[in-house]
Amino acid sequence: MSVFMDLNIISSNDKNRLKSIIETAAHLGYSTVAINYVVEPQQKKQEIPKPQSVSDIFDKFPIVQGKSSPIKVLNRLTIIASDASHFRPTNEYKSFDLVAVYPKTEKLFHAACMTFDVDIICIAVAEKQPFHFKRAPVNGAIDRGVFFETCYAAAIRDTTMRRYTIANAISLMEVCKGKNIIMSSGAERPLELRGPYDIANLGLVFSLSEGDAKAAVSTNCRAVLLHGETRATASGVVYTMKKPKTPQKQEEESPVSKKCMRCSAHSWCPVLTAT
Amino acid sequence: MEEPSKFERYVYKNASVYHYMKISLVLENGNQNITDAQFKQLIICGLRDLYGEVGASFPFDLLKFDQNELTGILRVYNSGLVKLWSALTLLGSYQNEACAFRVTQVSPFLLALSGNSRELRFGDQLIS
Repeated sequence: MSVFMDLNIISSNDKNRLKSIIETAAHLGYSTVAINYVVEPQQKKQEIPKPQSVSDIFDKFPIVQGKSSPIKVLNRLTIIASDASHFRPTNEYKSFDLVAVYPKTEKLFHAACMTFDVDIICIAVAEKQPFHFKRAPVNGAIDRGVFFETCYAAAIRDTTMRRYTIANAISLMEVCKGKNIIMSSGAERPLELRGPYDIANLGLVFSLSEGDAKAAVSTNCRAVLLHGETRATASGVVYTMKKPKTPQKQEEESPVSKKCMRCSAHSWCPVLTAT
Repeated sequence: MEEPSKFERYVYKNASVYHYMKISLVLENGNQNITDAQFKQLIICGLRDLYGEVGASFPFDLLKFDQNELTGILRVYNSGLVKLWSALTLLGSYQNEACAFRVTQVSPFLLALSGNSRELRFGDQLIS
């Protein structure tokens, strides 16, 4: 079984709050969390925030309850797109481990499912879905390996948003038949987090099957992570790695190496220099 | 020749009618004086917010309650487990104060709640 992950923790400038959220997540049993930087490019200048390095937050990551390894923290970017020009994959996207898009119109939803280079498509939780989900783009996204995400923190905060969350989630499950779904918190405070089995039970309320509900918190999240990693590679087959620096040779050795290796008589070899 | 001894095998698909949940309430501002009646009333309010009057009238029992730790053991019929669990998950506030229910254990058998394998300690040499 795959480990439990929570791929949506809203980032904030308050480091202590982020620390307490991640500590609570580790205590609840999540092995991986992702800090979400939400960007809404309404203005002309599109500022993609640079993700702060995760080692800034913690010197020593808290241990996941029930395991002996520390919690893993990743960076994620979410673009709220109301226009097709808002989503432009630039080099700044490469510094994030996961990229998500939140389409606001039906055309954008179709484009995001079929063509955009994203890992996650977010579903509206705070408002009534302005468009209906059609089977064609949803199936296209499932074939491509893109996942749909539902957040549950809004349902905890407000009763009206609870209705929207459940309604949007149920209509999505109807169309996609429970495939390629992940559920995450979207938490801004540590008290808005819930344990992984609680979320799997919430999946049952959203009319998922039991296996699909548990996969939404574990297996599908792992698939999203792998999809994010392959974005930096060529079709997931070839990838670049930073080569470790080789130690420089010392200065005294260079005259020695100049000696010809074939016939250690003279310093240059007539045979080798011809090539 | 001896007659072969007969065996009868009973297979229980679901032996227990109830499910037991060990839960604890975490408040934002630390501990407050919550009696067991208020605790149960809070859970019923959560059920009513999510599932209405029909959901709120589903019978469940608070078997044990520790006022200092705000932990308790609930008992509910199998058919009502999903509803009760989801109502506890989505409950967000108590008297305009943020709170959270942490579900520690769920089991169809009460005996299983007495030992928590997550808190098991074998001995110092086995802890990595």
